[in-house]
Amino acid sequence: MTLDANRLLKAASVAGRMLLESGAETYRVEETIIRICNAYGVQHASSFVMPTGIMTSFFYEDRNYARVERVYERGTDLNKIHLINDLSRRIGDEKISVRDLEAELTLIKNGQRYSELLIWLFSGLSAFGFAFFFGGGLGEAFSSFLVGMAIKTVSLKMETLQINTFFNIVVSSVVAGFLSVFTVWIEIGSNLDIIIISSIMLLVPGIAITNAIRDTVAGDLVSGLTRACEAFLVAVAIALGVGFALSMCMSWIGGAL
Amino acid sequence: MSDHLIVAAISAYLATLGFAILFNIRGAKLWAAAAGGSIGGFAYVFLVKQGMGAVMALFLAAVLFSLYSEICARYYRTPVTTFVICALLPLVPGGGMYETMVEVLQGDIDQALKIGLDTLSKAGALALGIVVVSTLTRLYFGLKEKHQRRIKAHEKC
Repeated sequence: MTLDANRLLKAASVAGRMLLESGAETYRVEETIIRICNAYGVQHASSFVMPTGIMTSFFYEDRNYARVERVYERGTDLNKIHLINDLSRRIGDEKISVRDLEAELTLIKNGQRYSELLIWLFSGLSAFGFAFFFGGGLGEAFSSFLVGMAIKTVSLKMETLQINTFFNIVVSSVVAGFLSVFTVWIEIGSNLDIIIISSIMLLVPGIAITNAIRDTVAGDLVSGLTRACEAFLVAVAIALGVGFALSMCMSWIGGAL
Repeated sequence: MSDHLIVAAISAYLATLGFAILFNIRGAKLWAAAAGGSIGGFAYVFLVKQGMGAVMALFLAAVLFSLYSEICARYYRTPVTTFVICALLPLVPGGGMYETMVEVLQGDIDQALKIGLDTLSKAGALALGIVVVSTLTRLYFGLKEKHQRRIKAHEKC
């Protein structure tokens, strides 16, 4: 059976793009692409990955093949990473054809996610947990639950409108600030600090922090720096949003909060 | 921070579980990932209660949950990040970030710098904990592979 090198190149690049879009580390994306290419016996497979793009090339039957894949969205889907990682390791053993590889990738691409209701409830529950973790009582936890659900609603809505991440985070944390003050004002919870901290934990860029560390350790310094920068900017965006909401409330209500 | 150990462990479990759902972790890995957050949170609160400084406690907690994550990743045959990302979240110094911002709002720059630096060093301690464990596991598995290759080469001779 002859190998369709063009289709292999495309499939490998698409697998890499899906990994990067789901929040995989740089070295994992590079290694996976190379592993897929090598499994089909091409020579000199190599790939160069940055958080915003992928370049792949290999040599097969006296010809060079190369492809650039631009990456625009960066979300989080750890299940997708698991599935693609698993698939790339199976190719060598199970002799999957390029056509089957494409089919499996499409299947993974349209993979299941938790329903919106569940995501909504569990972001509330997460904030609820954080409130206790930070030393709050039941009142604070319940307020955080409400604020957490509200934040997730806002940020999911803005994600579907394709507004950029930083503006999204600023707006979500403005909402968090105002709602937290409101819950204290109608006396559900009493400790404003704990309510705000627990709910903004939902916006903390966990993926960016972890990947910044892991990329730097692996020697991918450009990606490591980029992701550290992203994490820092998100932190600034959160502070900006909450700060805006709090200072507005201070000037309305006047004095101490 | 909560000063009750059981409350800390359970609340960190809930908080991490919520994130694990947001990150679309599926199956048994979901509960294991949430347990990672619980382990980190419990260790941190426990160490602080023993009178350890917050930065050192964060470092040790990070080492502990990273070890747990490496073990889980091998057991479930999945990338380590699945567990590390979740376990990290309860320990991220969001409180310090918020307090820095409040001090800036109130115009107390000295206090803001002090808390800001403290927050940065906490984040650094967390990062260092993760780095230490991932470097050591890389080293361990690298050496193991080398050793096995050498044995195979011997057998051929």
